[in-house]
Amino acid sequence: MTDPMPEPTHAPLHTVSRGRARWHRGLIRPVLQRRSDVVPAAQAIAFVIGIAVALVAGALLLLAAGNDPAQVYGRMLDSSLGGINSISRTLLRATPLALAGLAVAVAGSMGLWNIGAEGQMMAGATVAAGLAMTAGDLPGPVLIVLMIGAGAVGGVVLMAGPALARAYLGVSEIITTLMLVEVSIRVVEWLETGPWKDPESQGFALIEPLPDQASLPGLFGRAHIGVLIAIALLAAFWLAVSRTAWGYELRMAGSSPATARYAGISLQRKVLTALVLSGALAGLAGAVELTGTATRLDPGLSNGYGFAGIIVAALALMRPSGVAAVAFVFGAVQVGGQSIQTLGVTSSIATILQAMILIGALVAAVLLNYRVRWVRPVGHDAEATGV
Amino acid sequence: MSEAAVVGLLVATVQFATLVYLAGLGELIAERSGVLNLGVEGMMAMGAVSGFMMALATGRPWIGFAFAALVGMAVAGVHALVSVVMGAGQVVSGLAITIGGLGFAAFIGQDAVRERADAVFTDLGIAGLADIRWVGPILFNQPPVVYLAGLLGAAAWFVLNRTRLGLALRAVGESASTTDSVGHSVTLLRSGAVLVGGAFAGAAGAFLSLYMAAGWTEGLIAGRGWIAVALVIFGAWRPGRLAAGSLLFGFTLALQPRVQTFDLNIFGLEVNTISPALLGILPFLLTVVVLIAISFRARHRPSPAPAALTLPYRREER
Repeated sequence: MTDPMPEPTHAPLHTVSRGRARWHRGLIRPVLQRRSDVVPAAQAIAFVIGIAVALVAGALLLLAAGNDPAQVYGRMLDSSLGGINSISRTLLRATPLALAGLAVAVAGSMGLWNIGAEGQMMAGATVAAGLAMTAGDLPGPVLIVLMIGAGAVGGVVLMAGPALARAYLGVSEIITTLMLVEVSIRVVEWLETGPWKDPESQGFALIEPLPDQASLPGLFGRAHIGVLIAIALLAAFWLAVSRTAWGYELRMAGSSPATARYAGISLQRKVLTALVLSGALAGLAGAVELTGTATRLDPGLSNGYGFAGIIVAALALMRPSGVAAVAFVFGAVQVGGQSIQTLGVTSSIATILQAMILIGALVAAVLLNYRVRWVRPVGHDAEATGV
Repeated sequence: MSEAAVVGLLVATVQFATLVYLAGLGELIAERSGVLNLGVEGMMAMGAVSGFMMALATGRPWIGFAFAALVGMAVAGVHALVSVVMGAGQVVSGLAITIGGLGFAAFIGQDAVRERADAVFTDLGIAGLADIRWVGPILFNQPPVVYLAGLLGAAAWFVLNRTRLGLALRAVGESASTTDSVGHSVTLLRSGAVLVGGAFAGAAGAFLSLYMAAGWTEGLIAGRGWIAVALVIFGAWRPGRLAAGSLLFGFTLALQPRVQTFDLNIFGLEVNTISPALLGILPFLLTVVVLIAISFRARHRPSPAPAALTLPYRREER
C-alpha cells in the first residue's frame, strides 16, 4: 500500500516445488493479448455494451421477480427522458454525479484514486451549513456563493490529511480517503444529535433548517443552476488538462513519473495539487447539493453520489466530456429507479443497473483492447518464453 | 455500572469482533495475494440476505450459513473475473461489487424484510464452563460461529505461513511476475484467494442476519464491511494481529449502543456523555493513524503491505 515500495525480503521463491505446483499447466487456458489494431472510440463502445448488458441482466431479474420488463423500462424511460420535466429531474441527479465524477477525474487524470468523494461531499455540505447558520442574515446570492466556497474548503479540510500523507509519506490515498468517508458521515450524525440539533425538532434528531434564501435558483422544471456550475467546471477542467502546460505536466506525472521528474516537475507538488483540487470539487459538489436540493443538512445528503462518481469517472476514463455523458445516463437510471416504485418494483433495480453497466463496460473494454487466445500447453519453457 | 452491564458489553464485544474478524480474514487472504477487494460490504449484504432466506426455507441456520458462504464466493467471482482474469482496475471493480451487491441484496430481500427469523443460531452453552461468573457468558456461552471464526483464523494462519500454498499465495502478493516465472498460475492463485475471501464475507453477513440481528433489512451491514477493510490494515495483514484488532474494533461497536446508559466517571469524564457517533469514528481514524505509522517505519524495515497490492497482472505485458 505504501509507495515507494520496498523490495520484498521474505518468501524465498526458489524453495517452491516446481513439479507439484504445475498441475494446472496441463489445462488449455485463455491468455489475453493486446490487439495491434486500435479500435476507435473503444470506451464509448464499451459503455454502450455495458448499458446493453445491464438492461438484459435487469430484464432477466425483473422477469424472475414476476414483473414485465417492457413496462418497467418504459416507465423508467418516460420518467427520465420523456419530456422537459422528466429531463429536468434527470439533470437534478446528474449534477452531483457529474461534480463528484469530475472530482474523481481530476485525481484520476494523475493516476490517483479519490475514493472518498462521498465523505468530502458531506464535509463540504457541513461547512456550508455551518456558514449558513452563523451568517444566515446575508442576502441570498452572497450567502449562496459563500456557502459554495465554504463547501470547497470543507472538502479540502477532509482531503488535507490523505493528500499530505500521499505526497510526503507515500501513504496510499485509496484507503485513507475511504476511511474518512465513514468519519465525516458520523460527524454529521453527531452534529444532528448534539451541537447542531434543531431546538424545535423535539424528539427527532434534525439539524437546524437552512435560511430560506440559501437555496440555489432554479433553471427549469426541477433542475437548478447547479447544472450550469457543473458544465462550467467540466469545461474548465477540459481546458486546463488538455490545453495548458499545467495539465500536460499533470498527466505526464501520472503516466510516467520518471519522465516527469527528469523534466523538473515536482511530483510531490503535483500529487498535492491534484488531490486538494479533487477534494475541493467534491466539497463544492456537497454544497451545491445542499443548497440545490435540501432544506437542512442530514447524514444522507451525499446519497451515494460520491461513490457513484468514482464509477462515472472510471467509465469516462477521467475525461470531462465522458463524465458529463455518463453522469447524464446514470442520472436517468436513478430517476427511472425512483419512478418504478409506483409499479411495485423496488428502486434497487437502478442500483443494480449502474453496477452492471460498469462491470459490463469493464469487461467489454478489455475484450475490445485485447484478444483472447486459448493456449494449449506444448512444453513449459516454450510457453513461458514464446507467447 | 452493574456486573450485568459489563458482562453484556463484553459478550457483545466478542460477537462484533467475530463479525468483523470473519469478513476481515477473507479480505486479508485476498489482499495477501495482491488483490484489494472493496466489495466486502456488498458481499456481506448478499450473504446476509441469502443465508437468511435459505435458513428460513430449510429451517436450519447452518444450511443458510453455508449457502451464504457460497453466495459470497459467487459474488467475489465477479471481482475475480473482472480484476484478476481480465486485469481491469481492482478499485473500480470492487466498488461495483459493493454498490451492485447492496442493490441486489435489497432486490431479492424485498419479501424477507417482514419475515421473523425462526431458524437462527443459539448460544452453545458449553457444559460446566458456561456457568462460571464473568468468563462463562463471555467465552463459553456464545453462538457456534464465534468458535468457528477462531478455528478459521488458526487455519488461515497455518495455511499462509506453514504450507507451500501459503508461500505461493504470499509470493504472488509480493510480485506476480516472479511467481509466474517459477511456474505458479497467478490467475488461479489470486482468483482462489478472492473466492475464499468472498466466502468469508458472505459467512460474516449470515452471522449478522442469522444471529446478531436475527433478520434482514436493507441497511443491515451499515458500514461493517468497511470496518473489515480497515481491520486488515490495522492488523498489518496478519491473522493474529487481525484478531487483536477485531477485539478492539468489536469493543467500539459493542460500546456504541450502550455508552449512553453507562453511569461511570473516568478521570472526570462522564462516560454517558460520549456520543455514539463519535465512538464509531475510532476504528477508521485509528486505521489512518496506523497507515501513516507504517509508512514512517517503512524507512527502516519493509512495509507489512503486500507489495503487489492493487497491481493487476497480465502475462503479455511483462
